[in-house]
Amino acid sequence: MKLLLSGALFLLLGSSLANADAVDNRDPATIITEASTQILDLLDSHRAEYTQNPALLAQVVRENMLPLLDVVYSARLVLGRAGRQASEEQLMAFSKALSNVLINRYSGSLIEFSNKERIQVMPLKGKNTDTLTRVRTRIKLAEGNAVPVDFAFHKTETGWKIFDVTVEGISYVITFRNQIAPRVQAEGIEKVTEEIIAGNVTFDE
Amino acid sequence: MTHLDCNKLRQLATKTCIAVIIMLLTACASHPVTMTDSERDPWESYNRKIHNFNMAFDRTIFRPVAKGYDYIMPDAPQRGVRNFFRNLAFPVTFLNLILQGHFEESVEATGRFLLNTTVGLLGFFDIASRDGIPYYDEDFGQTLAVWGWKDSRYIVMPFFGPYTARDFLGRSFYGYAHPVSYYAREHNNYLPLVADLITLRASLLPFDEDIKTAHDPYTLIRDAYLQRRQFLIYDGDPPAPDYDSLLEDY
Repeated sequence: MKLLLSGALFLLLGSSLANADAVDNRDPATIITEASTQILDLLDSHRAEYTQNPALLAQVVRENMLPLLDVVYSARLVLGRAGRQASEEQLMAFSKALSNVLINRYSGSLIEFSNKERIQVMPLKGKNTDTLTRVRTRIKLAEGNAVPVDFAFHKTETGWKIFDVTVEGISYVITFRNQIAPRVQAEGIEKVTEEIIAGNVTFDE
Repeated sequence: MTHLDCNKLRQLATKTCIAVIIMLLTACASHPVTMTDSERDPWESYNRKIHNFNMAFDRTIFRPVAKGYDYIMPDAPQRGVRNFFRNLAFPVTFLNLILQGHFEESVEATGRFLLNTTVGLLGFFDIASRDGIPYYDEDFGQTLAVWGWKDSRYIVMPFFGPYTARDFLGRSFYGYAHPVSYYAREHNNYLPLVADLITLRASLLPFDEDIKTAHDPYTLIRDAYLQRRQFLIYDGDPPAPDYDSLLEDY
């Protein structure tokens, strides 16, 4: 899972030009293609640095990824009804904590990806609307296997944003929802946010 | 080569049955607050007991053996052994491609098998993937789903782990169609099957941390398994989850 999810992150990197408030007019497939080529270059040119300093890598990943993601929407989906009573601040804090943990946890294994790996963006398929679409990709690993990674996009005021990543058919939102929502319902969102942040420390490798 | 004879196996099976029953009787009933799913997982309370048993078995026997194998075996030959077993699953894949009407794909799968078995030295080297020949993952459970058995309830089997009723029924045909299972059944020699399972377990070691750190490992495994099956049934292009309904409630 670690390696696979890092493959997903790997694609999410890049797009350092983007700014959180600026409107991104690119279509979802272009966002994925550009982000993946950008990160290939970035990783290749800084590999030694990142290997020595995983925290730096995590920071770079975070800075480059966040503009492409709608973490608040992801958090809403993960929380479901458990998130209804949450205030805007609570929701922001929760989504920030969650995305940070994931980035810290999985960015380390990005190092294993090199330009030997290739990314193939597949043609659009299935249900796509003006506000919701999926970009399907295959990440080819060195040994020849291809890992299917799908990105779910939805349209926001600032352009298309990723809100779910599916690796080998397993959705991050659906899977985390069953892990986290019951806990939020039992303990409240602030307590769970604190726990995620506290757990964050042990995720650092 | 050592040979597990029939009597020993029967003894083992009896002992195992007793162990399962003891586990079932003593299995701890306390578990964290969770999301129940009465539609896909109506047998959850039974499943959780088997899950706990499986986890205990994994912790004490299965995982340590796989760890040992992972320790002594370098990555490259390990991959080779996985390739070898994966290549051997060809009859199952081929038959099910046909049963699902994917005739072109069945030809490709045959080409892949022949190439890997010859040039790839009995399948240890996955030459076909390197040459861009697609890999198809088909089994009887998927065929039953394609034929109309779309929804099947989740069931955790002792030792075998997560299944749906449909997929476990599909798995029962392996004794006739899968060379490794066929060999085990015909010759009462389970060593190749055990080797297959140990190498499979070793390849799953990287997932252990995700499962260990999960809030509820049972639902994590269940959700991942059911999503993965759905993905395979739809040959990599399942319908997207109904995200809007997630916002409503659960």
